[in-house]
Order: sequence, then structure tokens, then C-alpha cells
Amino acid sequence: MRVLLVEDEPRLAENVARSLREGAGYAVDVAHDGQEGLFMAESNEYDAVLLDLMLPQMDGMQLLRRIRQAGQRTPVLIVTVRDEKESVVALLNAGADDYLTKPFDLGELLARTKALIRRGKGDPSPVLAVGDLELNTVDRSVRRGGRSIKLTAMEYRVLEYLVHRPRAVVSKTELLEHLYDYNWEKFSNVIEVYISGLRRKLDDGSARQLIHTLRGQGYILQD
Amino acid sequence: MAGPGAGHKSIKGWLIMIVVLSQTLLAAGLLVAGILYTHRQALSTLDGRIQARAMSVAALVRYTEAGDGTVYFDDSLAPPSLDPYHPDWFAIWTDKSGLLTRSKNWPAGFEMAPTGPDRWYLKLANVRYRGLRLARVSVLDREEGDTFHPQTMTIVYASPTVQLDQQVQQSALYIALSSLLLLTVTVPLALWGIRRGLLPLQELAQKAALVSTDNWELRLPEEIQRIKELLPLTESMGTMLSRLHHAFDQQGEFLGNTAHELKTPVAVLKSTLQSLMQRPRVLEEYRTGIEDSLEDLERLEQLLQRILRLARAEQWAQGALRRDLQVIDITSTCEDAIERIRALAENRNTTVHLSKNGPVPFRADPEDLQLVWINLLENAVRYSPPGGSVEVAVGWRNGGGAQVTVEDHGIGIAPAHLPHIFERFYRGDASRNRATGGFGLGLAIVKTLVEAYGGTITVDSNAGKGTRMTVTLPAVSDR
Repeated sequence: MRVLLVEDEPRLAENVARSLREGAGYAVDVAHDGQEGLFMAESNEYDAVLLDLMLPQMDGMQLLRRIRQAGQRTPVLIVTVRDEKESVVALLNAGADDYLTKPFDLGELLARTKALIRRGKGDPSPVLAVGDLELNTVDRSVRRGGRSIKLTAMEYRVLEYLVHRPRAVVSKTELLEHLYDYNWEKFSNVIEVYISGLRRKLDDGSARQLIHTLRGQGYILQD
Repeated sequence: MAGPGAGHKSIKGWLIMIVVLSQTLLAAGLLVAGILYTHRQALSTLDGRIQARAMSVAALVRYTEAGDGTVYFDDSLAPPSLDPYHPDWFAIWTDKSGLLTRSKNWPAGFEMAPTGPDRWYLKLANVRYRGLRLARVSVLDREEGDTFHPQTMTIVYASPTVQLDQQVQQSALYIALSSLLLLTVTVPLALWGIRRGLLPLQELAQKAALVSTDNWELRLPEEIQRIKELLPLTESMGTMLSRLHHAFDQQGEFLGNTAHELKTPVAVLKSTLQSLMQRPRVLEEYRTGIEDSLEDLERLEQLLQRILRLARAEQWAQGALRRDLQVIDITSTCEDAIERIRALAENRNTTVHLSKNGPVPFRADPEDLQLVWINLLENAVRYSPPGGSVEVAVGWRNGGGAQVTVEDHGIGIAPAHLPHIFERFYRGDASRNRATGGFGLGLAIVKTLVEAYGGTITVDSNAGKGTRMTVTLPAVSDR
């Protein structure tokens, strides 16, 4: 998953980004002002946007309106110091999906972001299943047919993305875009490595193959 | 007015007491005056009647046929008593031969000399008598002849005062009763008047009770505003309320802003620590994390210090803080301030010029003035391009007082931000100010301090060309 974080306080942005990377295994892009945030939101595919309200150049509210006007459906979590009812109502009415007031708990921020991403993909449950494959997004554990499978962090991220889109063809570019931050091009070859690693671990001891390759198109996860 | 408790003095009670007391005094005075007047009137009537009786008794003294001037009393014609139940008594003495006669009911054993006071009272057997003595009354009976020597006599006539006493008593009763009747009418009237007169006070209290932190306006009906006696009270209440309102709003706003501004540094610190705790880390990561946290904490501390400084300056400006101030030299505080920001200026390769014109005395705490100059200089240096210069000028203002200008040739302030730069926590552009380490409090502190000393601060800025801050301070004798 790839998340855009728009926050002008550098230390806070750094901490939140680190927490999202370490705690959820997300790729995180950081924008330090509204203009930059808008540019990044318009030019990349994100699975969620974390948005501060008091921003230089363009405030968070404006940015939110702009991306909603452009028809983007990406879930948006507002992080704000304001907690008056009116501003919360105004935020939700402007198209925000959730909000968190500063100072916040990083664990809560993480949980809310995860929930937003799940809901954005149409999966409200934290445990996702495809056939006999189960993926728990809370503790990032994977089981197949009751058997626990140990994955590396990158393998998990690839699988998590695929599980959110079962039976759909996912291109290598899409995977790259959603798993890496802005300089993803240089990782283009490693996806194949992760896919083959995943195949080996998932299909070990199972009769049926879960991840299929469509040559020239991408990958498909189905039972 | 509801239930004045023990220990409370009641205006109403006081007024009621005064009214009742004065009415009672009036009634008592009326009674006494009435009694005295009636008594005098009745006494003079009685005296007149007694005199008439005495004269008619005198008329009964006649000369004997002997023609030698001896007299006798013809008691067959004695006049009837004024009061049949308490008969009058009298005695007649002739000047030549002494006691001539006494009335038949002359009190037994009672002796009286023909001399003494003309009018007197006497109490006999529980009856009070009014007596009259007429001396040297000529015998009215006339004898003809040359040898005739007219006799003179002394008459004492006493009559009981029963009727007079009754009359006085009656009139006293009459006056007392009518006074009482009047009291029963006038006291309630006065009470009603008092209550009615105090009604506006009650209403004023009710209206004042409606004033709260949500509703500061004291809305008074026209009839209360027209009451002359309440005018000083309502006017001072109005000014007091508007002052309170202003102070309250300011306090609330300051508190709100402060809490708001503290959230971000707290969020930073919290996130630094929480991300450190997110998973087990190597020693080096912990060390870096703790260093970061200390940095965050330091920034938080700086913000708190600034807020505290501003709060103190405001307190002082409002007169809550009194200090003994010495006359100091403004120029030397400027020199000190320039010295204190030298490191920052050198770091940014900016030069600071001071043009001075000898000492400029002013009564102040030098720390305060230094803080003002440092804040202005910091802004000037921060917004100057590298290699730029900042000019400070200390001098006298036309018409007395000091003037200090701090001028830079930096990025200037956009016209849209100009009206707000002295507001607390105002940041023209968050990124620019955060990058330069501002909290949006420096200029607010400057303005509060300058104004606390009776001075003014004005800003002159052209975006892209630079900014000039002008501080004026009143002449020393002004304070």
C-alpha cells in the first residue's frame, strides 16, 4: 500500500512516515506543503492520504476539495489541531473520511489508516480471505489451510495488495506504484523475485496454485 | 431583596424604621401641642368664669344701714356652683375688719390668708381646684353722703377643674385617635412608596443577574435609565462590564490560542517517542530518538517561555504588575541587543549597523527593551538575504521622546499580512516562519511591551524591498 502524507512540521512527518513504514509496511510519500501535496496526489495512485490542515501554500481543506473535485476516491484522513465540532463537520462534508486531532497516538493513526485502506478497497474486515488463504492485516500474519506462513516484509506487502484485489489482473506497474514511494522505477525487477518467493511459500504443500501469471499483463490472485 | 440574611443591612428596613419613627414622633408632638393648647384655652375660659363668679359674689357684699361703712354679706343670693357635684367655695375679707364670710362648704380645717398668689391650684380630697384672688375690690354697693368711706375687700374664689381636666382628656383622646387613624393610613402608604421606590433597584439586580460570560450586555429598561439616583451606578456598571468583557475575551482567546499552539509541539514529541517504542531498536536508534525528543522538548520549552513572557508583559501593561523602574539609556540597550544577536547575524552573513546620537534616557527595565530590540533584530536578520544589512537608528523624536527604527532590505511583508503581524500566533506563511523558527509571538510581545511603556510601534514594508519597524517611546517625564 502507498500512502501520501501531507504535513509541514518536518519532525512530525518523519515520525509518522517511519511509523507507517515500520508498523504497516506501507510505502509513504511526504509532501511538506499544500501545493506539493496536490501535485503528488494528482500524479500518483495512493491507497490513502493523510492530510494536515494548517499548511503553507495551500491549506488542507482546499487540497481536499481539489482532489475530490477531480474525482479521486482515495480515502483521506485529516490530522488537525482543531477539534471544534463545526470544523469536524465541515471537514467530513468536504469529503474527508476520518479525522484525528493532534496530539494523536501513533497506534491509533496506524489503525485508522489501515481501516481506511480496507474500507477503500471494500473489505471492512481486518482478516481477508481468498480460498483457503487468510491474511490478517492487524498482526500481518498469513495462513493457508490453517498452516502459518512466514513472509518477508516485502512479500507480505505484495500479497496484501493482491488479496485486496482478488480475481483481478494486477500489473507489475500497479504493484510498483502501490508498494514503493516516488522512486519506484528502480525496483521494477524485484517484483518478480517477490512473486516467485510468495508462490513458493504459499503453494508449498497445497494442490492448487494461488498466484497466476498472465504474460505481458500481470498477476492474478484466485483460488 | 429576597431573604436578606442575618448580618445584612436593609435599606428598606432602615427607611421603614425612619418613616414609622417620624410618623410616631409627629403624632406625639401633635398630641402634646394639642393638650397644651386645649389646656390653655380651657383654663382661660375657666379663669374668666371664676372671675365672673367672684365678681358676682363680690356684688353680694352690702353696706349696713348704719352708714358707717360696715358691710355684711347677703348670702341669700349666692350664685350656683359651676359644677353641682363639686361645689365652688369662696371667702371674702374686708381690708378693714378681716374675714367677712366664707362659703358654707369651705373645707373644714382649711385656713387661708387673704394674701398670696393671684391664681393657684389646690388639691382637696382628690379634687383639684383652680383658685383666684381678687384684691382691693371696692364694695359695689353705693352709699350716699360725705362721711362715706368706700370699703375695699379681697375675694378668694375656687372652682374645681374637673370639667377642664375632662375637656383636656377628651381632646387628647381625640387627637390621639385621629393620629392613630392617620398612622394606619400613612405608614402603609409610606411602605408602599418605599417598596415602589426600591423596585428599580430590584429590577436592576435582576437584569444584572442576567449578565453572564455568554451575555455581557446589561439591558436596562428606559424607566431605570431615567432614574437620576441610579445613573452613577448604571453607568459605572456599564463601563465595568465592558472592561471585564474585553479582558475576559482576551484571556479566553489567549488561552485558546496557547492550547492550540501547544498541540503541535506536543504531537511532535509524542510521535517521536511513540515511533521509538514501535518496535525493539538498536542502541544507536534509541540514542537518536532521545536526542530528537530532547530537541522537540526544547522547542516546546521555548514556546512556553515566550507565552509566559507575553503573559507577563500583558499583565504589566494592564497594571497588575508594579515595578520600580530606573532611568536607563536606550542606546546602550540597543548595543546590548545587537551584541546578543551577533552570532545569528554572522551565521547568515548579515551586518547590523547602529547609528546613534548619544545617550537617550528612558525609565524602563533594560531587559524589556533589550527583548524588544532582539525580537525586531531577529526578524530583520532572518528575512534579510545572505550578505544583506540591517540598520538600527536610535534618536529623538520631533516633539520629545525617543525613536528607534530597525530596517532591513529583505523579502518584506505582503500587504495582506501587514494588518495582522502583531497578532498573537499569527504566521504570515507557516512554512517560512517554521523554517525560521518563529512561533508567531515575537511581534506580539514587542507590541505589548512597547505599549506597556506608553510607546507605539509602526511597520512600513514593501514586499521584496524590505521592512522598517519604528518604535517611539514617550519622554522620560511623561511617566
